[in-house]
Amino acid sequence: MSVEATHMTIPISPDRTRRGSFRLRLPKVSRSVLLSTLTVAVLLAGWAIVTEMGWANELFLPKPQAVWAAFVKTMTKGYQGATLLQHLGASLYRILTAFTLACLIGIPLGVLMGVSRNARALLNPLIEFYRPLPPLGLYTLLVMWLGIGESSKLSLLFLAGLPGIVISTIQAVTSVDPVYVRAAQSLGATRRHLLFHVYLPAAGPLILAGMRISLGFTYTVLVAAEIVAASAGIGWMIWDAAKFLLSDVVIMGLIVLGLTGVVLDLMMRGIAKLLMPWA
Amino acid sequence: MKRLIATLAVTTLALTAAVRAEDKPAKVTVGYLNLVNAQLVTKHLGLLAKEMPGVDIKYVKIGGGGDMLRAIAGNDVDFGGLGNPPTAIGATRSLPIKGILVINMLDYVESMVVRADKNITSLKDLKGKTVAAPFGSTTHYLLLQALKEEGVDPASMKILDLAPSDIAAAWLRGDIDAAWFWEPDLGKAVKNGGKILVTSGEMAKRGYPTWDIGVVMNAFAEKYPSYVDKFIKAECEGIDFWLKNPEKTAEIIAEELSLPLEDAQRMMKGTGMIPCSTQLTEEYLGTSAKKGKFVDTLISTADFLVKQERLPKLLPRADFEAFIQPAYLEKVIGR
Repeated sequence: MSVEATHMTIPISPDRTRRGSFRLRLPKVSRSVLLSTLTVAVLLAGWAIVTEMGWANELFLPKPQAVWAAFVKTMTKGYQGATLLQHLGASLYRILTAFTLACLIGIPLGVLMGVSRNARALLNPLIEFYRPLPPLGLYTLLVMWLGIGESSKLSLLFLAGLPGIVISTIQAVTSVDPVYVRAAQSLGATRRHLLFHVYLPAAGPLILAGMRISLGFTYTVLVAAEIVAASAGIGWMIWDAAKFLLSDVVIMGLIVLGLTGVVLDLMMRGIAKLLMPWA
Repeated sequence: MKRLIATLAVTTLALTAAVRAEDKPAKVTVGYLNLVNAQLVTKHLGLLAKEMPGVDIKYVKIGGGGDMLRAIAGNDVDFGGLGNPPTAIGATRSLPIKGILVINMLDYVESMVVRADKNITSLKDLKGKTVAAPFGSTTHYLLLQALKEEGVDPASMKILDLAPSDIAAAWLRGDIDAAWFWEPDLGKAVKNGGKILVTSGEMAKRGYPTWDIGVVMNAFAEKYPSYVDKFIKAECEGIDFWLKNPEKTAEIIAEELSLPLEDAQRMMKGTGMIPCSTQLTEEYLGTSAKKGKFVDTLISTADFLVKQERLPKLLPRADFEAFIQPAYLEKVIGR
């Protein structure tokens, strides 16, 4: 009920609350932006000082300028036959394909397991068993089964992303207020209606949270997935550069991966706002 | 009072002397490469433990040169072994190591294997095929050098970076048409529809020798120089054992790598083991006064890696000469 209550309060006096919160909000946002900028600035300054003073071996921690130079060089000339954007494209293709597949399979699976106790009992052992397996251990088997091509890489990323989505969807569906379901049923809703008009909209925000976490998991196994027989991809670039002790390229690759991760997460939040304005 | 001071002085002296005598490492970590050479004999017979009584000796198996470099950079080993490309990388990046011993020369223990049913009779036939090699290793270096020599564009084929064990798995599945890598995994490919096209030994004759060199961490060598001698002594004993008792050595290698005996015998023949006294000749390390041909190999390898954009710049010859330190071996041999 509490969810509904908050929904109700907004339309009562939209103008006043909006204006009131607007005035309060702006400085708040800029303040947090300021603080975040401060963190980044301190980090960068610390990095610059440590390297300028020669406290760190340049083999392990190159100067920020060196990392920037590696970025510019990889952007324009490329690293081992592919430019940074091509590496990034190869990786994003893998991540997004696997993640989309994980969503397409994980969300229906989670809904099914959430509404049906039998389905949960049937499938839970499987998911709970493989979920904690280390991805690299799993990968050796995937390479033997599926080969060194894209399918094994996509499978690893898919398997990394799936459990987070399934588990959060189950959680989301089971925590839907039964009052909604009963109300809809009393109005004559079919199972189909219930699914699309009650369960999914109510569970949406939690499912989305699960998707965001799972996208993060998919990211964490990217380097592992690209170790075997890749010739492009940010993960491969990092791995290859490490073999030749090119730590500037390694750090640059990690920064690019981190930033893309943040951008993807922002995009997902944006899509969520469009699809689920009530959340 | 005088007596007291005298006793104190004597005990202090005795104590420092005792500390001096005790000045030995508590633990020695040897990183060894997963390939067929006399280090396996030294390890199996416990020769290092005999040379270093009371020292905890730990052997760590390392998959390839890239991993060994990281182990060295991370200060995880005291002694290690490196092929010439990783050595060139380490020397250029001024890793704190010195080359002290020839572990082995690479002959057909490393080879390029091609699928027998694919009609590949020369490197030119590799166009459009999928070829694998562990990047940054001796074989990756030889593959690209061989292609260059025959005027074949590496871009005309798909060259993949795979670890030796992954190459074996990919080969069995039929994912790759050719691969340049080493025993014990090489044998698996040869037995499953593979045929040898080029060996690393042939490349050595064409002017591209590849080898593995034993390295020591500088800090360890400065702190415990006598233990570097002990290490070399043990490794030399292993090499002598290999040269004098090939049958027993094959048994040891078969056991160490879980291989059939005939495989071990074949792989042994493909590895060049250099007696320690010969290592001090011009062909190999040379002497402290005049360094040998290993310096030339290092320079040409580093030059190749610079052209590949995997090393920033080519160091002067003196830096590579400084990397090779035959002094310890000279002391052990007694020259």
